[in-house]
Amino acid sequence: MSDTPHELQESRILRTELLWAFGVGIFVAASLSMIVFTALTIKINPPSNVERIDPKTLHLSGEFAEQNLGTTVFGDGTVIVRAIATQFMFVPQCIAVPANRRVTLRFASPDVLHGLLITGTNVNTMVVPGFVAQVHTEFTRTGDLLMPCHEFCGQGHSEMWATVQVLPADQFKPGPDGRVSCAQR
Amino acid sequence: MQSDQSSGADSKLEVADEVDEAALASVMRTVPLGAAVLAGTTVALLVLGYLLIYTLVFIPRGTIG
Repeated sequence: MSDTPHELQESRILRTELLWAFGVGIFVAASLSMIVFTALTIKINPPSNVERIDPKTLHLSGEFAEQNLGTTVFGDGTVIVRAIATQFMFVPQCIAVPANRRVTLRFASPDVLHGLLITGTNVNTMVVPGFVAQVHTEFTRTGDLLMPCHEFCGQGHSEMWATVQVLPADQFKPGPDGRVSCAQR
Repeated sequence: MQSDQSSGADSKLEVADEVDEAALASVMRTVPLGAAVLAGTTVALLVLGYLLIYTLVFIPRGTIG
């Protein structure tokens, strides 16, 4: 028994849809593979640190006390930047970081919700009171980069910004205590 | 209906076109192909744009994690 034209048409549509579904499947598999590949080879991941901190006391002691803010190079070469996002400024106002070297940025807020991005880089995070926002990155270009608050935090929000100074390796010189501050201009 | 109103069926414009089954089948053979080419080209352009931004903008901006 031969198929009617209508049945032939149905089977043709089904074939087209299956072909399309196959193409979409290939695309989804390729996208996921690329995400996994870049995560494993060049460590590109969504920042996903969950770490609690008491916003009422973070300035009194511990890593976000005033003397610990800014850039510190530890004995093993790890570079950690700690900064506070508060209404309506970042403390410190200028952050010195090395180029082409892994840097850990850690932020905390004692008051309201803030956010930040560093222009020309992939750094972009919220700073939620009660949590430490942590981002690992590597700056590929030297120069001064703008770091504005990008989450409306009050009347002075538009005035809240800092500078990230990316220094070449020969200019990134930690002091005896491992601290590095922005180069004087 | 008022006697002075005529039925729509009286107008030639309101009468359905005559359908030639053979011609319809011939058109329907090419329509899915055209739709697939149009949709495929559109999606391919989107994927190309995504890949270009990923490789030329996102990756050079440095790692993130």
